[in-house]
Amino acid sequence: MKGTKRLVWLALLVAQALVLSIVESWIPVPVAIPGVKLGLANIITIVVIVFFGWKEALSVVFMRVALASFFGGGLIIFLFSIAGGILSACVMAFLYRKFSRIFGILGISIAGAVSHNLGQIMVATVIMKDIAVTAYLPILLVSGIIMGCFVGLCGNFLIEALRKTGYFT
Amino acid sequence: MLKKGDLLLVAVLLLLVAAGYFFASGRTNSSGGRIAVIKQGEEVIGTIDLEKVKEAQRITVSGDYTNVILVEKGRIRFETADCPDKVCVKTGWLTREGNIAVCLPNRVIVKIQGENDEIDAVIG
Repeated sequence: MKGTKRLVWLALLVAQALVLSIVESWIPVPVAIPGVKLGLANIITIVVIVFFGWKEALSVVFMRVALASFFGGGLIIFLFSIAGGILSACVMAFLYRKFSRIFGILGISIAGAVSHNLGQIMVATVIMKDIAVTAYLPILLVSGIIMGCFVGLCGNFLIEALRKTGYFT
Repeated sequence: MLKKGDLLLVAVLLLLVAAGYFFASGRTNSSGGRIAVIKQGEEVIGTIDLEKVKEAQRITVSGDYTNVILVEKGRIRFETADCPDKVCVKTGWLTREGNIAVCLPNRVIVKIQGENDEIDAVIG
């Protein structure tokens, strides 16, 4: 897929990722731990990695995070989201390119969710200048596994459905 | 969709979680008093001995946002905040050593340390 068509698809996917991240903020999460969230926008990241590539995935993630923090957030929230988002997109793209024989979409999604949380904790440690925030690490790993499973399932269904449309190869 | 590596990945991560909990539980000791430390970035705003608090008091921390921290005997919490997510307020009361509550947007952390917790103080 090339030129204008590709650009339009990527713009659509950025818009969808943005909507997902806004919808997600309306869904209450029962635990009061910074960084625990659904990560629905990751569904779009996975789709972009599968159908386009890692460069496109990184630019979609960057656009989504920039726009999302523009609509509601601020500089510090932006730093958190961008660190988690870029790290998780890199990890997922790497696993998909090099290890897709070993890992399915589910595993790639779990790795993405966990690395998203790791990136956030790293930024949190730097911003807060306090090592105590790493106490959240175990619970963030668990939430990463659960949310990664869910997002991976959704991504898998979406990828299969999109393949059937014939627009993507 | 589900491949061998996926299960392996989950197994390794769960092992890490178990190791993390084991490590964390070994670090807390139940001796002595509890000191609450309030920090904003590198700056220590207050150190309060929770055992010696007689009347409830409120501490306001300003910055990009404003947090009000409520201190009572033996416990401390974020009472109100005007940050977007309010995770710090939802965390609720901190009562035990090792408990932490953070407001990331305002870079405020409240943590409870043991009386002889010198190591934590050096790193922090």
